[in-house]
Amino acid sequence: MENKFLIFIVVVLGVLALIQLVKVYEMTSKIRDDKTQENITPGENLSQASLFLVFMVALFGGTIYLMLEYGNGGLGSAASEHGVMIDDLLVFNWWIVLPVFFIMNGMLFIFAFLYRRDPERKPVYLVHNNKLEMIWTVVPAIILAAVIIYGLKTWNFIMNPEDEGTIIELYAKQFDWTARYSGEDNKLGKSNFKLVTGTNPLGVITTDGFSESYQKIDAEIDRLDSVLLANSIEKYVENVKTTEYLLPDGKVAEMSEKIERLKRQKYRIKSGLEIGRNADADDAMAANDVIVKGEMHLIVDKTYTFYFRSQDVLHCAWFPHFRAQMNCVPGMTTSFTLKPTITTKNMRLDEFVIDHYKNINNIHNERKRRIGEEEEVIDFDYILMCNKICGANHSNMQMKVIVETEAEYKNWIESQTRFDGGAVSYTAEAVAAEEVTQEIEE
Amino acid sequence: MSDHGHATHHHKESFFTKYVFSQDHKMIAKQYLLTAIVMGIVGIALSALFRLQLGWPDEKFGVMETLLGSGWAPDGVLDSNMYLGLVTMHGTIMVFMVLTGGLSGTFSNLLIPLQIGARDMASGLLNMISYWMFFLSSAIMLASLFIETGPAMAGWTIYPPLSVLEETQPGSGLGMTMWLLSISIFIASALLGGINYIVTIINLRTKGMRMTRLPLSIWTFFVTAILGLLSFPVLLSSALLLVMDRHMGTSFFLSDITTSNGALDQTGGSPVLFEHLFWFLGHPEVYIILLPALGISSEVIATNSRKPIFGYRAMIGSILAIGFLSFIVWGHHMFLTGMNPFLGGVFVFTTLLIAIPSAVKVFNYLTTLWKGNLVFTPAMLFSIGMVSTFISGGVTGIILADAALDISQHDTYFVVGHFHIVMGMSAILAMFAGVYHWFPKMYGKMMNKKLGYIHFWITITCGYGVFIPMHFLGEGGMPRRYYTNSEFPMFDHMIDLNIVISVFATVGVLSQLFFFWNFLYSALRGPKASQNPWRSNTLEWTSPVEHIHGNWPGDLPVVHRWPYDYSKPGQAEDFVMQNVPLEPGEEEH
Repeated sequence: MENKFLIFIVVVLGVLALIQLVKVYEMTSKIRDDKTQENITPGENLSQASLFLVFMVALFGGTIYLMLEYGNGGLGSAASEHGVMIDDLLVFNWWIVLPVFFIMNGMLFIFAFLYRRDPERKPVYLVHNNKLEMIWTVVPAIILAAVIIYGLKTWNFIMNPEDEGTIIELYAKQFDWTARYSGEDNKLGKSNFKLVTGTNPLGVITTDGFSESYQKIDAEIDRLDSVLLANSIEKYVENVKTTEYLLPDGKVAEMSEKIERLKRQKYRIKSGLEIGRNADADDAMAANDVIVKGEMHLIVDKTYTFYFRSQDVLHCAWFPHFRAQMNCVPGMTTSFTLKPTITTKNMRLDEFVIDHYKNINNIHNERKRRIGEEEEVIDFDYILMCNKICGANHSNMQMKVIVETEAEYKNWIESQTRFDGGAVSYTAEAVAAEEVTQEIEE
Repeated sequence: MSDHGHATHHHKESFFTKYVFSQDHKMIAKQYLLTAIVMGIVGIALSALFRLQLGWPDEKFGVMETLLGSGWAPDGVLDSNMYLGLVTMHGTIMVFMVLTGGLSGTFSNLLIPLQIGARDMASGLLNMISYWMFFLSSAIMLASLFIETGPAMAGWTIYPPLSVLEETQPGSGLGMTMWLLSISIFIASALLGGINYIVTIINLRTKGMRMTRLPLSIWTFFVTAILGLLSFPVLLSSALLLVMDRHMGTSFFLSDITTSNGALDQTGGSPVLFEHLFWFLGHPEVYIILLPALGISSEVIATNSRKPIFGYRAMIGSILAIGFLSFIVWGHHMFLTGMNPFLGGVFVFTTLLIAIPSAVKVFNYLTTLWKGNLVFTPAMLFSIGMVSTFISGGVTGIILADAALDISQHDTYFVVGHFHIVMGMSAILAMFAGVYHWFPKMYGKMMNKKLGYIHFWITITCGYGVFIPMHFLGEGGMPRRYYTNSEFPMFDHMIDLNIVISVFATVGVLSQLFFFWNFLYSALRGPKASQNPWRSNTLEWTSPVEHIHGNWPGDLPVVHRWPYDYSKPGQAEDFVMQNVPLEPGEEEH
């Protein structure tokens, strides 16, 4: 359907172009030497000047329509403490940006109409005016000072949190997210990219992690060795034992190089990471971590600090509803602190969200019907998505985020498994605080 | 300069030295323009293809398979890697080939000698080499579209490690090698050109052409060339470091990476270092594109308002201020890279400072129009359009410059809308203005004004129709560079908006046919132009319509006044050319 619409537009434009081309051809061949193309007639000048007014109405009308129809409608109100501040700052900025947009564009187009050529009128020979120029240097400067001060206040508040709260690691790789909760001790086990294996996808440093990593490296070395061995013939050339391979030279060199690399890697892991570490402390720190994929749960009104790491290329963690975003950079750890303020359930009860998602369900399932897929019910959910180009599946690198009460969270986290394989036990903070006060009283 | 013999004694030239390996700045300007037009056609055609994908992600397009082959668009469905390839190549071609090489190459070459009263560029040979390097780099970039593993796909900013590791993306193989080769040659071309522009402006001004009598176009070309000279080498060196990381096992930009090939040996580098180096060029690059656009518009607006440009000295001051500030704002592209928040604050401050000279320029344009006698030539329409997009795109820059707001806007479609309006549209509209305005100077013929009008109104309507809605996609949280938004039902209410954008984009791309036809037809068969068709003041209109080596027969013109004596009281005509001596008792301005 849309395809046909497009073809239709193409055809119409093509025909229009052709007609115009023929006309032009005729015109120019007749009037080769006259000055019609240099002199703009009063009629043309008036029509172009008027078109600027028409265009202004269309531009302003279109923009206002979009503002009413789409203005921030998609995301709803910010669902984090600092997000509200960002939204307020944004509104403050819009109050400056929009008037400037309308007034300046309006002046431009109205001037274009008003001061179209009139042979009777002589333009003013106005070269400069220091007073005016001073005004329009100083006024923007004052307004910008306000923008800068308010903006930096917000920025510094967001970026220098007083309290880190609960620590969660978000680990990005092509093309999914893994979350690691820091557990009861609120400390993430150490990690290193050299230890990444199928069973230890985040490269967490533990005694088991090392042996797994060595096993993996040794197995790979063995495999490569056996391939080389199976394809080699030992020969004596002039009484010197030499090995000849049935594989191309390049392949043999590549495999030998890889073996060397693996051996080097193993040595580096041993000397650089394993020797001299405090094994018990490291293992303990990692043991109570909880690694989850697919969805992440957060407790409402609790401060979280996310530590971001990446395994391969740049990624960017983007929580549109929390107004939070931070790059994930291989080789360094970045962080962002936020406090979700609305549970997923409450958000689903919000009037705006209910209406909005009714609409989204209609559109979504209309599409599903069109492409012949099963219909589904879409509910509001917080989401984490990737916002830095990262390869083929960049547009589907997501993780569901659920904000809930502490009791609901306890249920969920206790259904997960600890890093050391044990069961998770979560002591609600409210309960913990009560115990502490009881102890003090006793 | 006393070499007027140069003009009369030159040898008869062969076809090759006249049209191909020409050292004449006017021919080189035309070569740049034609190359830029070809690259422009490719650049916007690529955008039309990916807009088809974004507007109708569930449809199959035969045209896609025809153009990209069944490997990249099996059954007319675009491959997601190739989508990124199209986006990357669109950005690269438009930013570097069309709006840097094309814009500066065409108009700096054409106008610098003609407007300052010089016989040619300081070095015709370097100028020729500069063009042919540009040609070579464009050819390599185009060729990379046809290789089996596809063109570069890491975005036009080619951030490592994505651009380094072939196992993360097929385009980071040969495609990226060709990208780096092409851009390296491009940079060499831009540097040769830039040095030439600077030297020519400083040394070869004709008698009486003081710096404060230069047209604003020359001022912008001058500052642009300086920006390029200072910033492009940084991109060249970062490209070379990237080549080393790719092929020689160094780790300038890599650290702690595990891929399908296992843990990499390279540690200790940082991708953020590359971002710093890239944007140290990348931000001045925005002004390398924008300043010539502002210069061209200044000329066209003053001429067609029949009124002096308002605040000439303030305009020069603004150009210099923008040029200087553009070097200390690059960090605003990197607020969320984990940069120290204090440093982020510094970049907020410097970035917002740029708004002041920009605002001054806009006010000065408005005052120039105020109580003028506006003649709506096609060039004038495009220039007014350019002022409009400079305003509309500039104001949203205030939001993006605010680090705190960047948290919720960064890398969304809001950014795409912003920079396409302020940089893309402004520069392209000014480039069109320049072509319509100086076409008589380039080809000795007139372009058709009716086609020019149609071209303008469709272009600006479609341009705004594409990029204003994008701001709203961004407010809805939609990230850029997504192959499809279908994986996120939360974006479904904006499906319509994406269709609207794609329709405007397609129509806008096709409407450029009006321009191409007008350009080709007029160059071949347009009516002959008179010497000064727009009744303008600057020196290029004192040179004969037929191009001659050395630009002026006989002596070089001598300058007696500034270039903006339009509607000066006490004068018979509403313009006085720069080479007309002051009358007794006449004040300069």
